Amino acid sequence: MKFDVVVIGAGPSGGIAALNSAKKGYKTLLLERGPEPGAKNVSGAMIRESSISQFIDTGSLPYERTVKRVKLIFKSKKGNSVEIKVSPKGDRLYTISRLKFDKWLAQKAEESGALLITKTTVLGIEGNKVITERGGVEAEYIIISEGANALLSISQGLRRELKPEETVLGVKEVYSLNKDEVNKRFNLEGDDGEAWRIISDSPLPCAGFVYTYKDSIAIGVGIPLSELKDIKPYEFMDSYKADLSEIIKGFSLREYSAKIIPENGFPSFKACNDRVYVTGDALGLVDPLTFDGIGPAITSGYLASENLGQCEKYESSLLHAKEISKVIKSRPLTKELLKEENLSFYVNLIVDFFNYWSEGDLSKLSYYKSYLVKLLKHITLGLGVIG
Amino acid sequence: MRIEERLYTLRYKRDEVPHLVIKDQQKCKECHERYGNPCINVCPANVYSFVNDKLVVSYENCVECGACKIVCPFNNILWKYPRYGLGIALRYG
Repeated sequence: MKFDVVVIGAGPSGGIAALNSAKKGYKTLLLERGPEPGAKNVSGAMIRESSISQFIDTGSLPYERTVKRVKLIFKSKKGNSVEIKVSPKGDRLYTISRLKFDKWLAQKAEESGALLITKTTVLGIEGNKVITERGGVEAEYIIISEGANALLSISQGLRRELKPEETVLGVKEVYSLNKDEVNKRFNLEGDDGEAWRIISDSPLPCAGFVYTYKDSIAIGVGIPLSELKDIKPYEFMDSYKADLSEIIKGFSLREYSAKIIPENGFPSFKACNDRVYVTGDALGLVDPLTFDGIGPAITSGYLASENLGQCEKYESSLLHAKEISKVIKSRPLTKELLKEENLSFYVNLIVDFFNYWSEGDLSKLSYYKSYLVKLLKHITLGLGVIG
Repeated sequence: MRIEERLYTLRYKRDEVPHLVIKDQQKCKECHERYGNPCINVCPANVYSFVNDKLVVSYENCVECGACKIVCPFNNILWKYPRYGLGIALRYG
């Protein structure tokens, strides 16, 4: 059998790539290794509506809740913490569950004319042949949307394996009870939701989240792989969520999952050759501090399908896309911040600042003057993200 | 909370053919002495254990995250995905 486009992986980037390829008139096959789209995929997940609505009508988007409040929490080892509440303005934020979201997107791709085949793992690519355990298919163009474990992209020589020091392990737990109880604990009404972003240096430097779903709460934490020496990921999770016990009290654990989050990728890795185009997590397009990967994934999937046969154009369009350049620019900063001493430094600086402020004695902060050079370096890196 | 309680929440369908294979047990032994088998430390699902001088792989517990192959100092894990939609199936994801 021969297709114009074979997309490997029905996640956000593969779904949109298949949808757009089919729309453009390409005979498109979308392959998914899981029993259904989303069944193998892990994220927070929170999405910004505009990152999706520019490519697809979000009228029927299966979201969990509309995020009305985002709480930023800084926690220091000393036990002090600072919380900042932000109300998102303009752009809508939604929490989503991946099984529903990825299925919805794949269905849109099918409606546009793409053929979806699940339970099929791609084992390799040889020339224009995509090899699966069920046999091979020929493809004019191949879009690899395989996720962070980029087995095929590596085998095609487009990139190398990640190193431990450029990888974060995300561990997630979903607790459920009922909608009323979620609303009560977070002081919410109807389908309104709340999201927390947590930066902590305890027990080790980490960034985490709490998201509200319809009838459940998702808790996640990202731990740099190189820090996981004397503590297991789930032990880390136990210690991280000790402070969150009040919000999940009486709820039961419904799901435990884990995923690697790449801290390196395109443009260090190549995005394509003449025939093969890589998208999403396989390009490392996820921010390990904010966990935002779905927006960049969707942008990359769309751009790949728009630039088939034009590898250079695809790569330059990636560099120019706002969603993607944001991730690329924030990488050096994130890498710096996630170093244990730096993360502790900032968490303590922020927590101490508010602590001394509340005590009415900011002169105690003079201790931080000796770190001015470090501060300046990071501000410079930070400007790269903003600018 | 015990890891067993966590894994108990998951739906698995077992692929008869292991998707995780150790290439050379001798290297795992050397790794045990020199590095303490980092795959054991990073695995969120307790897939790996070192028993009687051998690395034992309980691949049916695997949550398919990929951390083990990244930390393996000897690139000694043949890491593939389960076939035919088998392995883990998430509800929330």
